[in-house]
Amino acid sequence: MLLYWKGCMSRYRTKSIIEAVEKILSYLNINYITLEDEGCCGSILYRTGQIKDAIKISEKNIEKLKSLGVREIITSCPGCFRTISKDYSNYYDIPFKVYHFSQFLLKFKEKLKLKELNAAVTYHDPCHLGRHMGVYEEPREIIKLVPKLKFIEMKYNRNKALCCGYGGGVRSVYPEVAIEVSNSLLSEINNNIDFIVTSCPFCKYSLSNKIKVLDISELIAMVLE
Amino acid sequence: MDIFDLKKEEFIKWINDENRRKGISRAVSSYVIAKENVLSKMPELERIRKEVRKIKEKSIDNIFELLKMAMEKIEESHGNAYFAKNSIEARKIISDIIGENKLVIKSKSLTSEEIELNEFLEEHGNKVFETDLGEFIIQLRKERPTHIINPSVHVPREEVAKTFSKLIGREVKPEIKELVKIAREYLRDKFFKADVGITGANVIAANTGTLFIIENEGNARFVSNAPPIHICIVGIEKIVPNLEDAFKIVQILPPYATGIPMSAYVSMITSPSRTADIEKTLVYGVHGPKELHVVFLDNGRSEVIKDPILKEALYCIKCGGCMYECPVYRVVGGSFGYNYFGGIGIIWSAFTSGMEKIAAIIDVCTKCGRCKELCPLEIDVPKMIEYLKIKLVEKGYISKRHREIRDNIINKNNPFGE
Repeated sequence: MLLYWKGCMSRYRTKSIIEAVEKILSYLNINYITLEDEGCCGSILYRTGQIKDAIKISEKNIEKLKSLGVREIITSCPGCFRTISKDYSNYYDIPFKVYHFSQFLLKFKEKLKLKELNAAVTYHDPCHLGRHMGVYEEPREIIKLVPKLKFIEMKYNRNKALCCGYGGGVRSVYPEVAIEVSNSLLSEINNNIDFIVTSCPFCKYSLSNKIKVLDISELIAMVLE
Repeated sequence: MDIFDLKKEEFIKWINDENRRKGISRAVSSYVIAKENVLSKMPELERIRKEVRKIKEKSIDNIFELLKMAMEKIEESHGNAYFAKNSIEARKIISDIIGENKLVIKSKSLTSEEIELNEFLEEHGNKVFETDLGEFIIQLRKERPTHIINPSVHVPREEVAKTFSKLIGREVKPEIKELVKIAREYLRDKFFKADVGITGANVIAANTGTLFIIENEGNARFVSNAPPIHICIVGIEKIVPNLEDAFKIVQILPPYATGIPMSAYVSMITSPSRTADIEKTLVYGVHGPKELHVVFLDNGRSEVIKDPILKEALYCIKCGGCMYECPVYRVVGGSFGYNYFGGIGIIWSAFTSGMEKIAAIIDVCTKCGRCKELCPLEIDVPKMIEYLKIKLVEKGYISKRHREIRDNIINKNNPFGE
């Protein structure tokens, strides 16, 4: 069974990402389930040293997913992606495969009929997806599927990408620093682009202050035929 | 106000300080361009840096053997080698060599900052002059370094001009060449009048006991050569098995530290100055120092070697590149650290000065991992930061906000408490 794990950030702050993912999944006629009582994956607890609670939450989630017979998980949140696939497996044998939505979506690229989009975009690599999980190319390949869309790389990209400033629990303790880090990333962005594409609800949230930011799912949902 | 609130205020002060931000942003842009340029012109560095990683892994695993060998070789060459368990011992050893009311000159050494040497020597009536330009500037401004390679990175030329105007009692223009000239003139006679010169070392080759001091200004040459006594304070992690290994580190340090192919000066020092030119009779202290003292500092290093995760921090060759490349350091500068800076610096401060010193600072690291990607030794800083954070939480160091988020997750199933 396939589960779409939405993630707290999207459930509470960037709901449009969930709408976009679900629109695409139904366009592709994919059978999947979501959890009414999804809860937290534990990412923020792992990142802020609260390891005992993180492990407790992980155990609870693993038991729940096992009992539901989940074999594959897709998530649009790189924080959840890293936590469920990497942090959980540091402590447990996990009986399911976890994919970021961009990896999953790319497998169905033949089935995507996309409208033209006359715009120029750049891509921001989320730290949890790129450096932490090595997923750099899939989101780029998806962006390049959109007809007429002009893609411009940021000067610092892939493993050298700059951080949006919101990760690792910084935003909650030192929000002023988080904002300033995100501002310094924005100051590096090419002026000729219409919007930024990223693949993380945290990055979208942090960079949306001054410029339009679309999650990779939102970009594709927008141009579906 | 708790430690997190206090630290937050300090971060905000740095963010809003235009002078410091200007200094850092100028340094970052020139560093990044220079480094990219030199790395593209010297493709062999890619191989050498990987060899250096292996050298450091091997050296740290055999550190006590290497320490023994290095100390023996130094003694054999008529130098004096000492082992200091901690800062207190190191300060005492150095202070006993120097005595009181002496003129001491220093070249940049973060290890001496780690043991708070200057303050101690001054308490004993000594006059201490920093001679590295950056260190000299912050010494005059009564500030602490904010970067390991470029300690006054946060002070732009306009501010240096103000400091120097005060020093020489006349108006100085904020022209960089002019400022350098003033430092040169002011410090020149100190080199020759000094009783003692104190340096650090970038690398030590155990098989010959040779100290390597890498620099661009030429001040470390004076400091280690002009006074009759040379004292070197160095962490035990700087020792590598032999000269060949040491040269590999010498090759990667300048490109990664400052974006240059090679530093202006690399001094190799193996013994005090000596001659046997008259009747083959050996005499020490010809033109260079009569005495060479090398103080090997432990100060938490041998403890951290026992920790399989944090041990990796000792591989750091202190190029400081990760600081310039850190998105957080770029906005909060030297407030991201205690006596060492940036992500790796937090780990260093934790084991050399105590974990509690960095309990609030650690939460400003986003664990983005950019430092690891740009580190010549690919040191996994985010992994160590997360590990250290777990230890801090176990000791009760956690911010109210992170505790609230935890409560929300447990009670309301989401971090927002909604």
